[in-house]
Amino acid sequence: MSGFAPAGDPVIPDYGDVSQCVANNDLFCADWFAAQWPEVFQPALLEHILMTVLAIAIGFVISFLAAVLAYRKRWLTAPIGVTATILYTLPPLALFQLLVPLTGLTLLTVEIALVCFTLVILFRAVLSGLTGVPEDVKRSARGMGMDQGQILRRIELPLAIPSIISGLRIATVLTVSIATIAAFVVDSGLGSPILKAISSPFNTQFIGAGALAVLLAFALDALLTLLGKALTPWTKARS
Amino acid sequence: MDAFLKAGPFMAENFSLLLEKTGEQLLLSLVAVLISLVIGVPFGLWLGHVHRGEFLAVSLTNIGRALPSLALIAIFIGLVGIGYANVLLALIILAVPPILSYTYIAIDSVDRDLTRAARGMGLTPLEVLWRIEVPLGLPMAFSGVRTAAVLVVSSATLAAVAGGGGLGDVILNQVAYGIEGVVAAALWVAALSILVDQAIALLFRLVASPGVKRVAAQSTSAPAV
Amino acid sequence: MIESRESLGITFEKATKVYPGTSAPALDGLDMTIEAGELVCLVGPSGGGKTTALMLINRLIDLSSGDIRIGGTSINDLGPIELRRKIGYAIQQTGLFPHMTVGENIGVVPRILGWDRARIRERAHELLELVGLSPADRWVRRYPGQLSGGQQQRVGIARALAADPPVMLMDEPFGALDPITRTTVQDEFLAIHRAVGKTTVFVTHDIDEAIKMGDKIAVLKPGGLLAQFGTPAELLTAPADDFVESFLGDERGLKRLALFTLADVASSEAPGTTPPWPRLPESTTVRAALSAAMAERAGGVLATRGDDVVGLAPLDALVHPDLPEAVA
Repeated sequence: MSGFAPAGDPVIPDYGDVSQCVANNDLFCADWFAAQWPEVFQPALLEHILMTVLAIAIGFVISFLAAVLAYRKRWLTAPIGVTATILYTLPPLALFQLLVPLTGLTLLTVEIALVCFTLVILFRAVLSGLTGVPEDVKRSARGMGMDQGQILRRIELPLAIPSIISGLRIATVLTVSIATIAAFVVDSGLGSPILKAISSPFNTQFIGAGALAVLLAFALDALLTLLGKALTPWTKARS
Repeated sequence: MDAFLKAGPFMAENFSLLLEKTGEQLLLSLVAVLISLVIGVPFGLWLGHVHRGEFLAVSLTNIGRALPSLALIAIFIGLVGIGYANVLLALIILAVPPILSYTYIAIDSVDRDLTRAARGMGLTPLEVLWRIEVPLGLPMAFSGVRTAAVLVVSSATLAAVAGGGGLGDVILNQVAYGIEGVVAAALWVAALSILVDQAIALLFRLVASPGVKRVAAQSTSAPAV
Repeated sequence: MIESRESLGITFEKATKVYPGTSAPALDGLDMTIEAGELVCLVGPSGGGKTTALMLINRLIDLSSGDIRIGGTSINDLGPIELRRKIGYAIQQTGLFPHMTVGENIGVVPRILGWDRARIRERAHELLELVGLSPADRWVRRYPGQLSGGQQQRVGIARALAADPPVMLMDEPFGALDPITRTTVQDEFLAIHRAVGKTTVFVTHDIDEAIKMGDKIAVLKPGGLLAQFGTPAELLTAPADDFVESFLGDERGLKRLALFTLADVASSEAPGTTPPWPRLPESTTVRAALSAAMAERAGGVLATRGDDVVGLAPLDALVHPDLPEAVA
């Protein structure tokens, strides 16, 4: 890991033919961005999506199991919640760096850290979705002779979907954002072009990668919103 | 594991360095949060009081969450150049959304029956805001400040990238301080975040009216980006 | 075993429930026999143990001591899950599952019991028609959120009847409805009850509802003690103690009038000249008829069947419905 010496005058990257925009280091040079897309931005974007989706998937499985467990054994709620909250409060850069001596400059390090940040949001979302199921609905289900497993699968989990989806949305947006910092650990994701541009400040590279991260966050958010709507047809059906 | 074992001695030997860097980071964070409060709170109060701007608050929260702090600092390197102003600006942009939107939600979600009763008793709009909405919305507004503060302290670690100082100078400079230095500073900054979070929670317990404290018990901690 | 589709009686034998952490029983040695096909209302103030008594029957809570038998079988001889699937259950907030359509809600227990789809579908349609949601096709695919309170309550009743249980338990099923809807749904449920004849235990805190609905009423008082168990007429004419008397209220005498209809009191002689009194259907309760007569400052009311006047009910007959000869 190298130090970051403050950069001097902007150094224009020498990527072949230089347009006027690039020579001036204007805010955003579409031509340069388009030229760099196949080699720099597209791979970075794909890596970023992979990192995010993987972290959310793993984080969700862990949080989901923990929340169902805490729902059954209420006394577990506090210890799990506090642990997850502390992990969540840690500065991402610090957590990354603390993991490096243990798991090296690897994707594993990145994923462990990213998963840690998703836990508190997803755990709370699943748990509050489950506890938010109205008492009369649960009493009816029991009164009709459903056993605990049937109540969980057929009643409580479906009714928890809106809360779970909103947790997934927050966690995903956050993970997209934190994953840029993963570039300090591995040369991967949208943080990577940003870090590379810092030593030779070139606006299009900052703004291009930054904007892609923001757009990715919004796109995944919208996708999850649609998924949520598709899974919960009863919520929009109001007379 | 070796790095962790050596982190202790590193802290002991470089205690004054760590303190100095902590001071830098806290000062930067404090200034950023104060400016963000000045910007965010009045807007939040006003929008919440007139029950307008739900869209604004929600979008701000979403955008705030989606903005990668690293990208923000990077963009400002292009716009403002390297240095304190850059980082400060980036931190303010990160901190205003949670402060504004939580303040807005805090005021907006005060039971309308209560404000109607207050108006019915002849309180002026300003009195309604000050005597009813602010005390009742305080827990929620405070969790916005808590969120923002932890976010700022946490993101200020990245300030080093743009020459803003702080503990990031150590964390990101393995060449100069070695792996044990990086680990020591990372541990240090982790503790700092948790401390700031808890300190604000404590501060809230000291200022909140006993009637509304219970509500705050469940308020969330901070997203750290 | 409770396999019968016939109605079965329910017997409480010294049924007692003490909740953990409390010393006073919520239900104290209840002895009561509900005949097959009867509709029994449990009334009493909060803390009287009426909901406790109900939840003991389908083992949502377990007895501390004593026994409850359904059709001669102790409820403890069946697993709680198995038992509950054979007992219809409807509660105040309806407890309809918001993520399931009306049809799916009604089909929950049949599906668990392994009925085939066609049979479940047919049953759902039949029940929707029965509870007055007709044509059924219009309603099966809706979600509970798209229904009014009264409609939801009807679906709740249909769902409770789905597996044709020998016993129905209803916990303040109409408690959340506005007065007008409530009256309608009460009438409809009474009609359904007469048609299907299920043994029904009906919890309510509203004594007027109990008088209207119950074949018999059990009044529970604080401490979970049974104060009186009898027909509405028995309660109103001869309250067992001060508690029952005060629970029936100051208007006990007037409430008793609600047990009679114009058909019971109107003289069947064809009147020579019809006095200008209010005309009411002969199914109107005497209480309502008296109120109408007084509101109009009339000397009585006219009982009608369709458009025809079929009888005269002067004030005297309305005030003393059990002594019709006195005024004839």
